[in-house]
Amino acid sequence: MSSVFPVNDYGPLMPGLVMAGVAILHVFLAQFAVGGGFLLCYFQWLAMTGRNEYARRFVEGFFKILLMISFVMGALTGVGIWFTSIQISAATIGEMVFNFHWIWATEWTFFCLEIVAGYCFYRYHQRLSDRTSLTLLVLYTFAAWMSLFWINGILSWQLTPGDWVQSRELIDGFFNPSFWPSLFFRTVVCLTLASLVGCVVVNLIPDLDRDAQRSLINRAAHLMLPMLLMPALGAWFLWAMPADSRSWVLGGSPAMMMFFMISVGASVAIGGYALLGLWLQRLYINGATATLLLLLAFGATAGGEFVREGSRKPYSIRYVVYSSGIIPEEVGRLREIGSVTNDPYPVTNEPDCPNPTVLLGAKVFRRQCAVCHTMEGTNGVAHLTQTWDLSQMRLNIAKLQQTKPYMPPFSGTPQELDALVHYIRWVLDDRPSPFDYQRDDAVLAQIQIWLDEAGTEASSLALAGEEWSP
Amino acid sequence: MSVFPFAQPPTVSFYLIVYVLTLVLHAIFMTYVLAGSLYLAWAAVFRGSEETPRARSAVAKILREWMPFALSAAITAGVAPLLFVQIIYRQEFYTSNLLLGWRWLMVVPVLVVGFYLLYVVKSRLISNWPLPVRIALVTVISACFLFVAFCWTTNHLLGIQSARWPQVYESGQVVASLGALTIRLAMWVAGAFPCMSIFVAWQLRYYSDRDGRPASQVGGLRALSMVASVGILLTLACAGGYLATLTADTRSALLGSQGGPWMMAVALGSVVQLNGWWLMRKNGQLSTSSLSLVTGGCLLMLTGAGFLRELLRFVQVDASGVARNAKSAASVGGFWLFVLFTVVNVGLMAICVRLVRPALRTDAETSDQQTESPTV
Ligand code: HEC
Repeated sequence: MSSVFPVNDYGPLMPGLVMAGVAILHVFLAQFAVGGGFLLCYFQWLAMTGRNEYARRFVEGFFKILLMISFVMGALTGVGIWFTSIQISAATIGEMVFNFHWIWATEWTFFCLEIVAGYCFYRYHQRLSDRTSLTLLVLYTFAAWMSLFWINGILSWQLTPGDWVQSRELIDGFFNPSFWPSLFFRTVVCLTLASLVGCVVVNLIPDLDRDAQRSLINRAAHLMLPMLLMPALGAWFLWAMPADSRSWVLGGSPAMMMFFMISVGASVAIGGYALLGLWLQRLYINGATATLLLLLAFGATAGGEFVREGSRKPYSIRYVVYSSGIIPEEVGRLREIGSVTNDPYPVTNEPDCPNPTVLLGAKVFRRQCAVCHTMEGTNGVAHLTQTWDLSQMRLNIAKLQQTKPYMPPFSGTPQELDALVHYIRWVLDDRPSPFDYQRDDAVLAQIQIWLDEAGTEASSLALAGEEWSP
Repeated sequence: MSVFPFAQPPTVSFYLIVYVLTLVLHAIFMTYVLAGSLYLAWAAVFRGSEETPRARSAVAKILREWMPFALSAAITAGVAPLLFVQIIYRQEFYTSNLLLGWRWLMVVPVLVVGFYLLYVVKSRLISNWPLPVRIALVTVISACFLFVAFCWTTNHLLGIQSARWPQVYESGQVVASLGALTIRLAMWVAGAFPCMSIFVAWQLRYYSDRDGRPASQVGGLRALSMVASVGILLTLACAGGYLATLTADTRSALLGSQGGPWMMAVALGSVVQLNGWWLMRKNGQLSTSSLSLVTGGCLLMLTGAGFLRELLRFVQVDASGVARNAKSAASVGGFWLFVLFTVVNVGLMAICVRLVRPALRTDAETSDQQTESPTV
């Protein structure tokens, strides 16, 4: 039986948005910290081999400070994501930690190497030989990329657990169907971000003439070359996605589609600019343009993360946990015993509930819907159901997974469902007091029929053409 | 053997041991930052004499120089215990996170602020700033770290009070007893000073060896031995006070066969440290033998305290839940992968340190002979 956790009400900004905010910041910083390692290795090599006389200025400049700061901030915001995820779905993060704790622990050993190698370089490189500096940089970059490697396995598992579902073998879960496209794609993003930050930094190096700047920028832009692979990698990723998730992204869900287009559009703009410039061999990106491109990259990252988070619906881990924290195997049982029967936490966000039924409804809403909806704010259920009468509400919620395939099946008793409907009605009526409720056994029987008709499985699976039962 | 956690099912003791050992590793860096920031705040307010202001002392200089790194190391090292606590105490840890709500989410931004301010304090810039500003700066830094310590202690205490959870959810009153919380927090804060002192002492030793000065001329010995000894005595006093706040049952678990040996470890570790510091102070030098002794004592104390802390939690939570968690976690693969990469990466880290050895010899920034430096 899954655990019941207290649910916090963070107001009209639904928790998903908070999560997305922290996640985007983290991904941006952490990916830069990886790509920056590659860029520094490259420039250190250029300097050592005499291929570019100004490269040393770059290596000794403040790019390395930026890198150290983003590395530490990346680690901190990583912990931030962890904490935020717990607020949103402790059940989800619990499963991720539980199933992959030795992978996380392994990743941790790479963090340790990353900070030691990075700090040794950062602090001492001016007093070390070129070779030693390069060795430290290579170790830093290796460790940073490996931490991406490990976390990528866990994140891609959330969307495509693959053969793990049957075998429960670590290796199947880790090297899951979207592992490689996602890893390569993220690596290209890391390199692009570092390249763009590099261009900004080159513009800020004092007393460097235009030609010197241009030569450095041309070098930094080499790290954008892998962007050529992006369309292919993106297509590979889409192809590895479950069919239902793919359909959300490609138009099934307008919001997903929009974020996807933002991401693609921004990437095309960056890639086009860089490749054209490189091709013409005269690429010079001034500080303002580089900053603008970097903002576009931020937009692309943001769009990408929204898509990644959103396209898993109704699951937070496919087949394993629904976004609501309810486990698919349990739906049938919760329909018998009730979803909030074991929830000891009182309803605090609705102090004026006029009767026990509305109170029960508020509790059901908190347990089953609040992770994706608010009542009256973002994605507000009151707003979405405005035009429905009681009977339509009952039908559409009983068949929730058919109402919209990115919602999980309703996981409570007919009484709970009717209570939820009355709660929504009460809110729509501006929370009147008193508010009547008459229990009607015929209505409850009808709800039971609808629930049975809808079944206990997510309809997104049928949409993906998958036969799967726990 | 009835000593905790060895009498538990093998999977439970395994995860508890891994957890406590990684927590000790985290504590080594964490205490450096916590006690270090408080020491700097103290040195800024109680300035010492005109000729030898505390803020210009060798100890203060080293702290300023190394605290940003120590914070990064503390955060990095903290990831591992954060991982294992979720495996062992899944329900308790998540619930107290959720009950703390936005207060818990503040931990990260507060650490970010602390991290940046540490760099400000480290920079040369601030030596020209007016004294009140400098005092405010170090006070804010200390406040940041104290807040984080407060959050962790509250989180821990909430986790073991499952009967209170619904009521806490309703009222938002996360602290059950301010007295118990304060004394527990005070124990941690006081206990941070002896650890930090040892770390700094080794650093001082290293720099003076490198600069070819005799061990008897290392500055900071007096201050460090004082700070460490007072810290140990205060920690023991707080621990005694904390014992008094416990119920008879939990207290007897600590003092009985499960916790007794760890109690002894803490006592022995404290005596060894006090003795070592006294010796060094008497002989006027940070000798390698005494420093090693004190370090051993401190590790003994930390490890003992770590297991006692765990025992205290263990007897108050649902032990069958913990056993279930540990047992199913043990069925998940990957342990040998972790062992393999621990060996590889420890080796690579050693290589890194070896590579920079030549540069360390000329690392002038932290030498206590440095002249121009900030005075906070
Ligand atoms: C996995 C996330 C998720 C969960 C859990 C969830 N929903 Fe939804 N729901 C959505 C999304 C996304 C939409 C689409 C919103 C839109 O179209 O603007 C939606 C739409 C709706 C709609 C409008 C449907 C329509 O046809 O216009 C209703 C009503 C609704 N949800 C009610 C609920 C109720 C009641 C619950 C709890 C029992 C719930 N949802 C749980 C994600 C979720």
